[in-house]
Amino acid sequence: MRSRRWLKAFVLLFTVSLIAAACGDSDDGDTTAATDAPATTLEEGQTGTTSFVSTTVAESEATTTTEAEPEPEEMSTAHLLRPNNVPTEAQRGGTIVLGYAGVINHANGAVSSGYAVNTAGSQVNASLLRWSDEYQPVPYIASEWAIAADGLSVSLTLNPEARFHDGEDITCTDVDFSIKTSQANHPFKPMFAPVTGVDGGDTKNCTVNLEQPHPALLVAFSPGLLPIIPEHIFNDGQEMKTHPRNNTDVVGSGPFKIVEWETGEIIRYEANDDFFLPDLPYLDELIIDMVPDGATVTLGLETGDFDIGTGHGGQDIVDAQNNPDLSVSSKGFEAIGSIPWLQLNLRDEILSDVRVRQALWHAFDFDEWNEIQNSGQHRRQCTGIQSQSPYYNPDAHCYEFDLEAAQALLDDAGYGDGFELNFHVTPAGVTTAEIMASQWAKIGVEVIIEVVPDFPAWIGRTVGEGTDYQVTYTSLWNWGDPVIGVNRSYNCNNRVAGVAFSNMSWYCNEGLDEILNAAGLEFDPELRRDLYFEATDIINADVPVIYLSNQVWYTRMATHVENPPESIWGFMDSWAEMWIAS
Amino acid sequence: MADVETTESDQSDAPDPRRHQPPPKYQGFKMFMRNRAAVFGAVLMIGILVVTYILPIFITDNKNEIIAEKHLAPGDEGAPLLGTDYLGRDVAIVVMNGGSTTLKVAGFAAILIVGIGASIGAAAGYYGGWVDSALMRFTEFFQVLPGLLFAIVIVALFSPTTLTIVLAIGLISWPGIARLTRGEFLRQKNLEYVKAATAIGASDRRIIIKTILPNTMPVIIVQSSLIMGAAILFEAGLAFLGLGDASNLSWGFYLGLNRASFLSNWWAVTFPGLMIFFTVLSLSLIGDGLQDAFNPKLRGR
Repeated sequence: MRSRRWLKAFVLLFTVSLIAAACGDSDDGDTTAATDAPATTLEEGQTGTTSFVSTTVAESEATTTTEAEPEPEEMSTAHLLRPNNVPTEAQRGGTIVLGYAGVINHANGAVSSGYAVNTAGSQVNASLLRWSDEYQPVPYIASEWAIAADGLSVSLTLNPEARFHDGEDITCTDVDFSIKTSQANHPFKPMFAPVTGVDGGDTKNCTVNLEQPHPALLVAFSPGLLPIIPEHIFNDGQEMKTHPRNNTDVVGSGPFKIVEWETGEIIRYEANDDFFLPDLPYLDELIIDMVPDGATVTLGLETGDFDIGTGHGGQDIVDAQNNPDLSVSSKGFEAIGSIPWLQLNLRDEILSDVRVRQALWHAFDFDEWNEIQNSGQHRRQCTGIQSQSPYYNPDAHCYEFDLEAAQALLDDAGYGDGFELNFHVTPAGVTTAEIMASQWAKIGVEVIIEVVPDFPAWIGRTVGEGTDYQVTYTSLWNWGDPVIGVNRSYNCNNRVAGVAFSNMSWYCNEGLDEILNAAGLEFDPELRRDLYFEATDIINADVPVIYLSNQVWYTRMATHVENPPESIWGFMDSWAEMWIAS
Repeated sequence: MADVETTESDQSDAPDPRRHQPPPKYQGFKMFMRNRAAVFGAVLMIGILVVTYILPIFITDNKNEIIAEKHLAPGDEGAPLLGTDYLGRDVAIVVMNGGSTTLKVAGFAAILIVGIGASIGAAAGYYGGWVDSALMRFTEFFQVLPGLLFAIVIVALFSPTTLTIVLAIGLISWPGIARLTRGEFLRQKNLEYVKAATAIGASDRRIIIKTILPNTMPVIIVQSSLIMGAAILFEAGLAFLGLGDASNLSWGFYLGLNRASFLSNWWAVTFPGLMIFFTVLSLSLIGDGLQDAFNPKLRGR
């Protein structure tokens, strides 16, 4: 009898371990408890549901002119971001494998946004300009460009050699077609909203016409934001978003050609021997290996299966920094400007009081959060404009961690005894929610964490009609220029139910809108910067969101990788200049 | 085996069985106490209840407080007794507070399972015929559903609150007890005492609830303790996958949250895991003891 009982106990033990093992098996596909996962997995823009408000202000006098710089005698290297690190003939060639966590469906950045599409697309497609890590435009398809004195047109001279993979010349018709495609399909409406058309036809001297000055235009000419796609291929009346040539038999004009594409598995590129820029690309072959999760990327980098991969801070980065076979760079992706933040719903009765919102910010301990969540690797960020941007104000008013000040504000608002606050997160945000629960408990705020299973459910919960969420954790990207990626979160008329990354706080300050609109039209960099300083001061006083950090996107790579993509667009720039040191 | 065979009725000098003997007082309790494993289970359970419901009252009012560096092992300098987790919380305090969530879900789920299962089983067994066929087909439908997947779908659809988790566990776990109850009812409805009750004109409702059900209770109670153990494991499985209340970390949820750092942070996974193991073990041992106490015929089986 007794032995049976022990048998029973043993069977129980076995069952427990079996269940644990079964649960462990699901690790790969499941993100629920990825506590050391990157702070943000809501890679925004992925869904293509983003919508923006266009800046529409009556004509204002434009004043400034920007001249194209390339001097004729430097033409040979003006197109290079790294003219001082060029491989010898013997060092050229070879294959680089990028480990990518996720699925890339197509390579046409003119119809949808997102890190995945842009990374894959910028290798096969070229754009009018590239941008250096110093926020300076670099000639690409456009070898010269000039903005008219009134700001209402931009003239472009296309590289005479510029041609598509099928040998067809790139002309103004293609530029016009690409912009119109973006206007009709791309979620970032403000990028090209003021563009009325492109003159020049089948020549290489184009004029982009604008209905109002648009200083953000040159940034919008970046590889990820405006790939120049062949009009003669795509202009066949088919729906652009689902056009078959977006991922089969792709004809671009970039440094690489796609020779194999298995969605969810692999994209294989080979060098475009007929590339219009001399001596590029340096590599023979480029492979994007799509894997299910970040852990696989980490493993692949450690075993040497992958040469390069990204990472957003945390233990993985620390491990890579300590690995002699790998090097880690924190440069690149500055234009992405990913800012994790706490979104506050101003329609909520408690949160409608600005003192409560300020108190919550005062009670946020950045150092503790950064240490736990990111192994101390994020930068402090006090405004909604990314800290590497020329428009970022390093002296902006920041709410320092101060529990007494927070408590005083709550007392003043009549919430001195504390209150409950619901906090909606996807599984990837649970750690941050737990940290906030711990921190805010010190001022009597009891956080009720509500985990929503995935991104679509999160959208439904936070921007759905009549949502009663109070706080949520998200991360928004600047996308190079405030007009493209910043205004949308604060503009009164972008309070749109059902649209992801709209004005999710339901915040409205008409004075602020006027300043943001004026900044969107201002060519003078100093004046423009001052306007953004003023705007961010207003936003910080009103606290529609609590900025947590400036997320650093790291590049992890094998030590033999030279010229990793470190421009402001990071991986979303062309990889033509990468080479392998022997 | 000796203590089983030497029951009182086996004694050769036993009183004349034809004379009515009142059952000895506390017979069931004594039988339970004679099962040493069951006593161990009961003591374990009392210990778990004290740790879960009484100790936290004296220890802290902020169960989520971050008290030290993350990933401090037990015994490290400045580390609390059971170390700290991935945030720097005291593992002991989180585990202590986690018990009430786990036990609440498991307890309510067990009540729901017994409620649904016993009702359906009783109706099927008592009425027989087409009622039985219909209810058993219905039961079989739930029996063949892939339980964990079905529960995951329910919880994911309706957000992971305590209520939905209890409902999910209840909905997929009742068929076993329904079949058991049905079997008991089928057997007992033809016994003399039920026929007697029918003969004096008792209504069906009265016979089911007041006549047969009390006689099936021993079986159901024994089964309930095992069901509660299964419900704890089920809750742990769901929570491990992230389907749980993130504000009130159950043992399974906490285990799941810590699994990413399992290799470097074994203590934060081990202690909630041990709590699950000991709770289920104690329930199983108690169930065994109850079997002995309630059901002399099955004693030792």
